[in-house]
Amino acid sequence: SSREHKLNFKKSKEVCLSYIQDAMLQKQWKRAAEFLTFYVESLEKDYSTQYMGPSEMIWRIGTEILCHHSHSSMKEFNSFIEQMKTLGVKRYLKVCLEHTFHLLCNGLIDEAYQNLSLAESWRFGEQTVIQDKEMKLIQAYKGLLDYYSWSKQKNILLEHDQDGFEDLSVEQEMHSCFRKAAVNLKEIIKIPGVWDLFVKCYVDLLEFYGDHDEARQVLNEYAYNSKFPANPNAHVYLYHFLKRHGESKKSLISALKILHDIVPSHELMIDFNTMLQKSRKRKKRRLGLEVIFAGLDYAGWKENVKAWSCLARQVKQIVISEKHLDWIKQEWSSRKDWWPAFHFSRYLAKRNWQENESLSHEKALVAGILLGKDCKYFKYVSHQGCKAQVKRFRILKKFVNKHNPVYLRICG
Amino acid sequence: MEFPAALFPSYFGAGPPREEGGPAPAAGWGERGQVLEAGTAFVPRRGGTGESWEPADAAAVPLLPPNASCWVPSLAPHDILYRGDLRRKLPVGRSGAALDFTKQLGHFFVDHPEDAFGSLGQLLHKNFYLGNSKLKRRARDSTIRMTALMEEIHRLEARRGCPRRHLASRLRWFSHICRDWLFEVPLGLLADCVHEELLLQWAGLLFDDSATGGALAWLPPENAGARAGRLVYPGGQAMNRLYFQDVVLEELPRAQGSPAQFELNGRIRQVAAARVDREDFVGIRSDYHCGVWRVPGRSGAAPTPLQVIRTGTPASCLTVSPHLPGELAVCTQSGAVYLWSVETGLQRLRHDPQTMFFRDHSPWRWSDFTAHPRVLSCADRTGLQCLDTRAPERCHFDLFKVGEEAGCQQGERVVLPMYLGRAHPSQHLVTTQFSVYVLDERLPLVPVLKWSHMMKSPPLFAHLSTGGPGRSQKVLLGTSSTQELLLLQYQGGGLSACQLSGIPQKLHSIAGCLQHLPAQLPHRHRLLQQRLGAPAAGLAAALQEDGPRESLLVFQLSEAGDIFCQRLTHEAAQPPPPVSGDEAPAAPGSSPLFEAPASDKEEEEEEEEEEQTFYLSNVEVIINEEEEEEEVGTPEEAERPQDRCSSPLPAPSVPSPTAALRYRRWVKALSEGRGDPLRSAWLPTLSQKRLFTRRDLQGPAGPTVAQDRARERLREAMRERGRVRRWDPPAPPPPAPWQPPEEGGSADALSARLTAAWCGDWGQWWEERTSCGVARRQQALRERRRRQKRARGRRSLSASFASSLTYQSELSELSDPDPPPPSPRRPPAGSPPPPEGALLSSQTLRCRGIPKERQKTLRDYLAVWAEGPPDPPEPPGSQASQLCIPSSQSQLSSASQPRRKRPRMGF
Repeated sequence: SSREHKLNFKKSKEVCLSYIQDAMLQKQWKRAAEFLTFYVESLEKDYSTQYMGPSEMIWRIGTEILCHHSHSSMKEFNSFIEQMKTLGVKRYLKVCLEHTFHLLCNGLIDEAYQNLSLAESWRFGEQTVIQDKEMKLIQAYKGLLDYYSWSKQKNILLEHDQDGFEDLSVEQEMHSCFRKAAVNLKEIIKIPGVWDLFVKCYVDLLEFYGDHDEARQVLNEYAYNSKFPANPNAHVYLYHFLKRHGESKKSLISALKILHDIVPSHELMIDFNTMLQKSRKRKKRRLGLEVIFAGLDYAGWKENVKAWSCLARQVKQIVISEKHLDWIKQEWSSRKDWWPAFHFSRYLAKRNWQENESLSHEKALVAGILLGKDCKYFKYVSHQGCKAQVKRFRILKKFVNKHNPVYLRICG
Repeated sequence: MEFPAALFPSYFGAGPPREEGGPAPAAGWGERGQVLEAGTAFVPRRGGTGESWEPADAAAVPLLPPNASCWVPSLAPHDILYRGDLRRKLPVGRSGAALDFTKQLGHFFVDHPEDAFGSLGQLLHKNFYLGNSKLKRRARDSTIRMTALMEEIHRLEARRGCPRRHLASRLRWFSHICRDWLFEVPLGLLADCVHEELLLQWAGLLFDDSATGGALAWLPPENAGARAGRLVYPGGQAMNRLYFQDVVLEELPRAQGSPAQFELNGRIRQVAAARVDREDFVGIRSDYHCGVWRVPGRSGAAPTPLQVIRTGTPASCLTVSPHLPGELAVCTQSGAVYLWSVETGLQRLRHDPQTMFFRDHSPWRWSDFTAHPRVLSCADRTGLQCLDTRAPERCHFDLFKVGEEAGCQQGERVVLPMYLGRAHPSQHLVTTQFSVYVLDERLPLVPVLKWSHMMKSPPLFAHLSTGGPGRSQKVLLGTSSTQELLLLQYQGGGLSACQLSGIPQKLHSIAGCLQHLPAQLPHRHRLLQQRLGAPAAGLAAALQEDGPRESLLVFQLSEAGDIFCQRLTHEAAQPPPPVSGDEAPAAPGSSPLFEAPASDKEEEEEEEEEEQTFYLSNVEVIINEEEEEEEVGTPEEAERPQDRCSSPLPAPSVPSPTAALRYRRWVKALSEGRGDPLRSAWLPTLSQKRLFTRRDLQGPAGPTVAQDRARERLREAMRERGRVRRWDPPAPPPPAPWQPPEEGGSADALSARLTAAWCGDWGQWWEERTSCGVARRQQALRERRRRQKRARGRRSLSASFASSLTYQSELSELSDPDPPPPSPRRPPAGSPPPPEGALLSSQTLRCRGIPKERQKTLRDYLAVWAEGPPDPPEPPGSQASQLCIPSSQSQLSSASQPRRKRPRMGF
């Protein structure tokens, strides 16, 4: 009978939980809250060895309800979370972290900082791997908040500087913030992960104090350590850092080249292309053509006027100089079976003409060169352009007609 | 393409998943995930504010008439699991299920005796004797009498489940002797096959991935403002017919015109669609065939089939390229991935029966398109890879791995990947049985968004509904067996990092509408429950912008082929008017079943009367009193379905009148559907068309003298508002085991009746039994007539004759001086046909099962009709069907067409 009783208890627990779930998914917070008060009883006989016990569920559900319930206040929320923190030792750090997030999202920075400090000083036996990770995150967020107060004080100081008087106490406080922030931020970014926020702050700190070597090392590590995910932002930060410090074109290009290999559709590729086009070296210009072709392969670039004008400019240059037509030929050979349908269909001609005249102009030029003057896209756009008596379209038509033989050489 | 300037912090580890776990019921709640500074404030990864989409209806509403077919309910666990005392003794295997193997084998022998014992049966049938008489001496030499053995078997059957049954020695002896040679197929071989099949079926019951992707697609109108689109779905008995149906988006969407249909060579598993350059390409996957159709953008243009391919092993995936016209990706269960171009044919990109990242037994493969038109994503249960079709061997990268990289749990598997190109060109959705992930191609392996969806079974269907700039992307997830539907919102991916916004929201499931259907008898209720509870087979949604108001129409397809829809409205919009009075008139040929009524209010009133009303327009007599009584009952009283997610709602909201009407029509159409299992349980609806032909009613050519006289008297009586006396001697009460109205329903009543019947004066018993009921009814009718009369005021008789039917029935009620012998509610199907000449006697009508209060109406009506219009119209039944049955949608017979409302003055 006791077994039966246990079974019944388990069953009613499950049913109660499903009611709560149902109510929450239909945004009936009040009803969910009522059921939750019953569900709390399940804590009394929590024999479960399940992955997620009732106490965790109560924390999760309760938090969610208090976030959305119309009658809940921050005070209630805090007191609920404080109770939850005592409910499970294993979960303490996680609950603290989530509590901090909630406070931060509600603009309560100081409370969040206090909360993080408390959590940081918490010790309980041996830490599991997950707890270790959570602790690191807590420290990192604390470092982040330190960084924000540092930058606040920095701004005050800069203002004072303009006014022409010094404030030692502010400066001292600023330095102490720097130290606290730097220590914590430095720790987390050693571990593989996505730490855009922390890396940016740390580099900012280092740059302010003139430690460029350390900053460069941090960014290099973040971008090139193979244990870290292939995060485009890591390369972007490095590129911007190098640019800020007036590094050579060569190192900028090599940074962008790696970004190009990871994300050929990144917006920086247009800068990259312009940079390469300006180069005097043939190899770089060749790479520039590759880069812009590769970018335009992507659906997200279909209507990118800048990219199309880059391509049009470079193609025009090559056609006029009649040198390196083989570059175009080579790029085109892997695209000629699908670019016409992807970029140069009659429907797109119509739409581009209606929506963006300059886009259709650039595209028509490329289409006219690559596909000849009989291609649908070029024919439609140049016809419409001439009909509307826009000068540049007449020039375009003349140019394409003049260089039509190029098309035969490209596709031949 | 912009990439977010900063992403949410996360750890990145490599290797197999470390986190132990399983389905956790509340895992998706209460977490913010991480925060990120955006401008001046912190934003959470989860829990930001989203758009509010409120359901407009109380439950999902049928969009189309029920898929007319004798739907065979899909396999249920109790069909193949062992039940009985043996179960406890059987060791519980790894699957934890004991399959009832002997039962299936037995079924085979009974269902296919020819295949099982054909030749030996033929050889031996002379030597086996099954009769009761004794064998003749001469025959005894070569013939065995099997009767005793048969009896033994029957006895065994009767004791099924009895723990104390023992095999009779005779049976044991027989099976021992025959086991080796009696069976056509060697028993061991057959048993192996049956067992293998059972295991397959059981695996399918646990998780069936054949419907992944869903077999429902919505082709939106060319310009966003239009209110009509096209729905592509399978139907028919075997779900092998493909329909392209125009649908008008109104308060409740409705079908317009008849669908274009194609009959295919197998059950349709998946319908995938994508729009390229204003043309829709629709890919259809069945097990061994895949086909592609092109649907031109302009409305009304017919879809054209382009190409079909056949696969050796079942195909598991078909997706249509959103970039290039006529390109599709196909995967088969042998592990092959193909790029299929209508122009250039198939290109095999990969053929690997092994899974990608670790070993998994599932042969399921999936492939979809990416931001680069030449790069395809390939998936199996362990993860996703991207392949460049130009060099598939060399150029590939891992997009998603079930492992520590994405923070997966142990045992987690990919269920459905989907390219979210319409939301952001480089985003992908991946669902597993525990979580849903959003991935960005530019940052492979690290999900930009992750959330535990907490659904009870793995989501097999997903649909993306994009919002404009600054709006959230809406993702619908659907499961098959539990019919769950979940709406998620997220934003970001371009300038800002991806965030889950708003609260996930549960939408109505098909089974949820059961409580709003008209109340049914228990057995019908069960059948309906079964039908509505059929696993979902597809999901689609249409976004409708109507000025400031925005709504999302969600369509759900069930395995039985029924399509239900529900509307969600955006909160910023004004609430929809409860009843729209001025619905656009239906286009000719639109489905009559769900045609919007001219006026809802009027419709409602009519509906209430419907069952008692004598339909002049269609000349259908509906004897459906039981149903009427039931339908009057409020829907709230109906028993709540025992579905998986039932919970006591605070107050079940009531469906709108139009929705309620649809429910009723849907149920009616379902019950009337040809060969429908419900049908046999649905006797009380009798159509007059089936009762008598028109010739029957007219009698022999030209009115006979008796009829003339009868009519004369009838008219006279009506003029005088007098009484009509019977002009035929009453026939003996029809002998039949009539069903008396069960009032007390006690055993005493039954025994009294039986006793009476035994004694022979059953008729008298009947009289006594019903007289009180009749008196009460009369009283009620009179009351109502008085009320209505007051309300109606004065009216000429002829007008009221045509316009008010209740009045007619009351009239007859009044004019009957003495109530005739009470009529049975349901005559037996085989009641003797009335003599030809004796037309319209109340007795005959009664014999034909027309209740007393309607008899006179019928008589009157016929009388007027005979002399009424000089040129008699077509039989009304056929007229009605001509008017309202769209040609190719006429799966319902004309007899089962629902009554169409027309002005009754028309006659």
